[in-house]
Amino acid sequence: MAGKAAVEALLRDRKLDRTLTSTLPDRLGEDAVSPLDTEALDRGLAGGLPRGHVSEVVGPSSSGRTSVAWAALAAATRRGESVALVDTFDRFDPPTAHACGMDLSKLLWVRGQAVSKTSGAIDPAWLPGVRAVTGPGTFIERVIDRAIKSLNLVVQSGVCMLVVIDLIDLPATALRRLPASTWFRVERAIEGSDTAVLILASMPVARSAGGRSIVMGDSPARGTTPGNECSAPGKPCSPPASVIWKGDHDRSRRLAGVASQAGITAARWAHAARVDVSTTVFNAV
Amino acid sequence: MFAALYAPSLPAAALVDVARAFTPRFEQLGSTALRNTALRNTALRNIVLLDASGLSRLFGSAQELGEHLRDALSKLSPGDSLPRVAIASTQTAATLLALGSPGLTVVMPGKEAIALAPLSVSVLDHFEKLSESAPQAPQAPQAPQAPEHGGWHHPRSTHQASRGKRRAPENRVLEILTKWGIRSLGALTELSGPEVHERLGERGALWQSLARGVDSRPMVPWVDEIPFEAALELEWPIEGLEPLSFVLARLLEPLAERLERADRGAAVLYTSLRLTSRTVFTRTLQLPAPMRDPKTLRTLILLDLESHPPDAPIDIVRVYIEPTPAKVLQWTLLERAQPAPEQVSTLIARLTALMGEGHVGSPQLVDTWRPGAFAMSDFRSRIDDQLKKVEGAIEKQSANRQSTIDQQSEISNLRSALRRFRFPIPTRVTVSEGRPVRVQTDRQGFTSGAIVQAAGPWRTSGNWWETPGPRQKSEPGSNAWDRDEWDVAMTDGTVYRLVVEREVGQWFLEGVID
Repeated sequence: MAGKAAVEALLRDRKLDRTLTSTLPDRLGEDAVSPLDTEALDRGLAGGLPRGHVSEVVGPSSSGRTSVAWAALAAATRRGESVALVDTFDRFDPPTAHACGMDLSKLLWVRGQAVSKTSGAIDPAWLPGVRAVTGPGTFIERVIDRAIKSLNLVVQSGVCMLVVIDLIDLPATALRRLPASTWFRVERAIEGSDTAVLILASMPVARSAGGRSIVMGDSPARGTTPGNECSAPGKPCSPPASVIWKGDHDRSRRLAGVASQAGITAARWAHAARVDVSTTVFNAV
Repeated sequence: MFAALYAPSLPAAALVDVARAFTPRFEQLGSTALRNTALRNTALRNIVLLDASGLSRLFGSAQELGEHLRDALSKLSPGDSLPRVAIASTQTAATLLALGSPGLTVVMPGKEAIALAPLSVSVLDHFEKLSESAPQAPQAPQAPQAPEHGGWHHPRSTHQASRGKRRAPENRVLEILTKWGIRSLGALTELSGPEVHERLGERGALWQSLARGVDSRPMVPWVDEIPFEAALELEWPIEGLEPLSFVLARLLEPLAERLERADRGAAVLYTSLRLTSRTVFTRTLQLPAPMRDPKTLRTLILLDLESHPPDAPIDIVRVYIEPTPAKVLQWTLLERAQPAPEQVSTLIARLTALMGEGHVGSPQLVDTWRPGAFAMSDFRSRIDDQLKKVEGAIEKQSANRQSTIDQQSEISNLRSALRRFRFPIPTRVTVSEGRPVRVQTDRQGFTSGAIVQAAGPWRTSGNWWETPGPRQKSEPGSNAWDRDEWDVAMTDGTVYRLVVEREVGQWFLEGVID
């Protein structure tokens, strides 16, 4: 320890202490981050999503991952910033997003192809006038290729302060097949700029050196415990603790929200920050 | 100082040429007011107003300037109908004198009312027809209201009313003044202003101020309207966008220079391509903000043509720009820099070329209760006005207060997001005692199995009045809906929103609460 202290003192003397983790601020400045306007998450993120970096929010279904991404978009639009959502499979729901506090006029929505997960087939009601997804590779690969190209166009233009790419319904195999250079190129495009990029996925994809990883659904109470699974209709089983209901009777019960826990990590962080996240269904308030 | 030229025998274009030889600041009176009237071809059109300020150094005194103008007009119209030239310190006085006095009239500043006094009142009627600022639908003066007599009307009043209907309304003030015995402008100015206003209304008051030579509107100088258009006939037909980009650059750069000189921006961009198949291929680009950067304009045209390519080689390229006044923005150092409109337009064009029309923009809510309804609108990076900034500051303060409240707790409260399947996924649902207990779907990646908890049904319906009749299947394009919604939790914690279409009894997976 004495040796480490001596090295650090030497580096400070020569003004080379920028590489020391001990000099990193606990909380980044307001201009350096894009806050989510929720104190607990912002505290866990050391201020918010860092600008000029790629962050990610990942987790299983109904863990609140999309709610976190929408909260970031809503907070940015409330500040008057233009934001973008690259919606690979066209899953965005504008009325719900509006209820989440998002200013839709400031949102650039890039709608991908509405396709069912891994079905490999185009939906029959595909809008007319849209160019056919043609080119090399499988159908899913071509859809992803378009989404990544759109992401690159948006981040290179510098028009939007926060860009979210939704890769949640992407099959894990397709996600793994994306070359690492894809994300290096995005990092390079936003480096030193005011733009923050957030990847929304079901599994960890990429994060730049200064970015944050928010892993949702860390709660041990999530899901059912072994031996408590319902296998047949009518068999009693206890609901997962992560889903919050209101009302005791079948006829009066309604979905109130989902409780989850977010584990936030970043490079050079010794421990992941844990934040409890609860979401409220907007028509159940 | 203003000079008015009136030459009934000369064509309007000749009069404009004479005015342009003296000053670039001139206005052809009635050029727009008379466009749609029956007076289109009358001599009233041939009156031009010049801004004579500063011309004394070139042409001498006002008298000498007037003589120069008269001589220039006389050369063009040799004959008995002499042109009329009037110079006065107000444009109204100059115009009225040109309309009412023959030959050359020069009025010293402050003497306008005296010079105008002998002119006939009918000159004002002519002047009003010329002036664009005159009321388009002149209001008839408010006659004193006679007391009601239980529906009885004096035959004379009825007769007058019918006479009034037959007459043109624009002559009413002139008719009343004539009845009062007011023949000249001098007599009109001598009347009491408030009483004229009381009896003849706004129009009467306006006529009285005009009779004194007072201007009712500023001068609007003539601006040459040269169309922002360029065309190039190619020696050899071109095929493909790359050679076309060079042609477009050659056409757009001079147009952009002209736009800059005129302080204009392009609002609409028309590209017309004559093809070797003898057809004309036209594309129209509505630009979200006025812009004149030739590179941006060229990129936008090329991206549009990339999405909608012509089906034959190109013979003639024609570009037409609809100009609009350039946008003036006052930037601030205190706000984050906004992207330039050119950047936004280029980005939208590139994204549209990649994703297809209707797939890039801002979502917009529509006035309906139909679940998931929205519309797409153009994305525009707007510059907030001051009011919005204030609202934003207030919201920020309230958000800060909320943050302070949140700081007390360790839980982050968010609103639930719904990931909606744009085309709901058909599912098989087992129902027990009226409640769904099991979900089965063929699609991979979705949880199938037992439902551990369910809430519902939330029944909604709407637009049923568009359906052809009760119990009849609605048409495919109909927006009618009649369904029950269920929120169900699966064993792995996934929360789905299920809907059952009541008309057909089919269950669908509509979305995931996430």
